[in-house]
Amino acid sequence: MKINISRHQIYILLLSLFLFLFVLAFSFGLLIPEGKEYRVKRIEMKKAEQEHDKYQNFNDKTEARLKDLQSKNRNIIAAYERAFDAERFKKEHKKDFTSLTLSKLKRTKDKKEFAVYEVNTTSHISSPKNFYNFLESLNKGDWIIGVNFPIKFVRDGEMINSSFTMKVYCNNKDNNSTASKSSAK
Amino acid sequence: MKYSYIKPRKKTPFSTDLQLVLTFFMITIIMLFGTYAFLLFKDYRFVKNRQELEQSKVALAHNIKKMEDEIAYIKKQKAVANEIYTQNMVLKDSIANLFDLVPERITLSRADLLKNGLILYGITPNKDVYNFMLQAPLRSIFQETYTSFYPVQNGWLRFVSTNYINEDEAQTKDDSNED
Repeated sequence: MKINISRHQIYILLLSLFLFLFVLAFSFGLLIPEGKEYRVKRIEMKKAEQEHDKYQNFNDKTEARLKDLQSKNRNIIAAYERAFDAERFKKEHKKDFTSLTLSKLKRTKDKKEFAVYEVNTTSHISSPKNFYNFLESLNKGDWIIGVNFPIKFVRDGEMINSSFTMKVYCNNKDNNSTASKSSAK
Repeated sequence: MKYSYIKPRKKTPFSTDLQLVLTFFMITIIMLFGTYAFLLFKDYRFVKNRQELEQSKVALAHNIKKMEDEIAYIKKQKAVANEIYTQNMVLKDSIANLFDLVPERITLSRADLLKNGLILYGITPNKDVYNFMLQAPLRSIFQETYTSFYPVQNGWLRFVSTNYINEDEAQTKDDSNED
């Protein structure tokens, strides 16, 4: 049996063969390795997204915790931020004292990252009860103030002269930057 | 002289067969290149997105650290404030107890409340009243108690009572307060 193939058909056959080999080489040489790489990168990307979501969730939880803490302790935070004002202090506590004199505020040894200022106080009170009321109202005041020893009470006729030291606690802005940030929020 | 009744048609190498083969392979190659380009683009996007995620993760970690610091600082603020409030209340109770301690027959003229002691100045009708009504309770509180008496014109006695808590005990209390 004689197969009769024209030259033109042979050219077509060769061209088809060449193109077929090209398609095979391209597929196995580039496309399939790239596909594998794509799959690996997609898995890695999913892992990275999951990890990022974890961070995001933790960030959201921490933020909620901070906001809650800030709102619950708003007064305390503000009290640490507020600079001591002697005139305002006198005005707030004048009901407890007949007269109240404050010395100049001076800085003393810091305590637990907080700046501590000391102010010496002399006052006239009509009864020790006034002093008790003063101590109670200090805790509700605009500043964080602790009354310290020595405390002296001297009888002066029907009145009592009292002198004591108060320690005013403020944020230490020199070495604690978070203090100002917390109140800024 | 004509040998055919029809016009000779032009011969072209792009025969119908060849056109068919070329069309088939062109479509195949376009699809392959398209897929390859898509994969390359996706890989590029993955790399970009991962870089963005990493940057975002670093920013989040930094933000979390900052917020944790703020939380710790607010907790410290709260602890110190509560400690001071408690100290003020304890002080109030201590002073109230001190004045309650002094009997009506004894009149105080001065009271110095020290960190580790108490100095009282006053007038008593006699030593017995002082010893039974004031010194006894003072002795139960303070480890060291010294009293000096000075007679005054009306027969009463002026006294100075110096009372100290043991230094070691005071130091221990002080240290616990400082912490």
